[in-house]
Amino acid sequence: MLFSQAQGRRVVSTADADTVGLIDGYVIDPTRQQVVALNLKKTAGSGDVLPWPDLLAFGDDAVTVERSTVVVEADERIAELSGKHHTILRKQVLTTSGQQIGKVQDVDFDPADGRILTLILDNQVQVAGTNLLGVGSYAVVVRS
Amino acid sequence: MSTLIRASALAKLPVVTFAGEDIAQLKDIVYAANGGQIGAFTLAGRGIFAGPLKTSLPWAAVVGLGPDAVIIESEEVLQPTSDVIGSAGDGATGGGDILKSEVLTDTGTSLGRVVDVIIGIGGGGRDQADVVGYEIEPAESLGRGKQHLLIPLPDTLAASGEHLMVPASASDYLTDDLSAFGTAVDAFRSQLAGGR
Repeated sequence: MLFSQAQGRRVVSTADADTVGLIDGYVIDPTRQQVVALNLKKTAGSGDVLPWPDLLAFGDDAVTVERSTVVVEADERIAELSGKHHTILRKQVLTTSGQQIGKVQDVDFDPADGRILTLILDNQVQVAGTNLLGVGSYAVVVRS
Repeated sequence: MSTLIRASALAKLPVVTFAGEDIAQLKDIVYAANGGQIGAFTLAGRGIFAGPLKTSLPWAAVVGLGPDAVIIESEEVLQPTSDVIGSAGDGATGGGDILKSEVLTDTGTSLGRVVDVIIGIGGGGRDQADVVGYEIEPAESLGRGKQHLLIPLPDTLAASGEHLMVPASASDYLTDDLSAFGTAVDAFRSQLAGGR
């Protein structure tokens, strides 16, 4: 599933069938090539982070969670990964041979486990998620 | 043949870690092995007001060198500049600057002055970076006009910081086209190897 496809999707709690928020962004851990949390908007409380392990299912129409309390404030690790420096979208991509190959336009991930499958660049180039090395303030680095 | 890059094009290239941070930019090249290879890079901070850094980047720590960046694993591979220059120096270039040196053939003809260094980067990344040639401002006696010429180098050469010695036959392979230069270097080197 693409980041852009799931953007704005409802997150629903199965305990009381309430919408707890809408998907607003993705927190990824580049060293594990994994989506580790979702950023939500329009949440009831002050928390706006949904850690990936607390998801029940990533469905085509909604994301389900057990109860609304799984939406928390970012812990240290997630806050560090979700900073502006670590957003992956629209960032230039450098290969380990020192070549700029494009900018990240979208990311394909596995809704079952959050694995990053493919980076899709603005020039239609696709990079396998397993080649992702890091996302920093300057660039996304991928193995060439 | 490997990719050819002008040394002047390397200056200011960002040094990027696997984590995607640009921690420095290239400032200058420290040549090793009598000016025949790149030994290390000295570094400057990023940004207009950043000065030179006290650390340098040994060539062995470079993962990839391309047109847009130099990739290294992490900041930890950088070493104090004094250590790097000490080990690469080894009587190599006599502390002299390669640019502006006069290129002399072993028969005593001046070919011109060095304005840039052409570096061949091996395909595998961590391979040595070989100095394959110089871009020279031709001497008038050459009768080739003012246009800069590229001159291939043998694998090893003598450099004093004042003069660079090349075999007389190098002048047969002068060219003004970087894209065709790789073939000229190969032809020149195989001719030298065959002659021995």
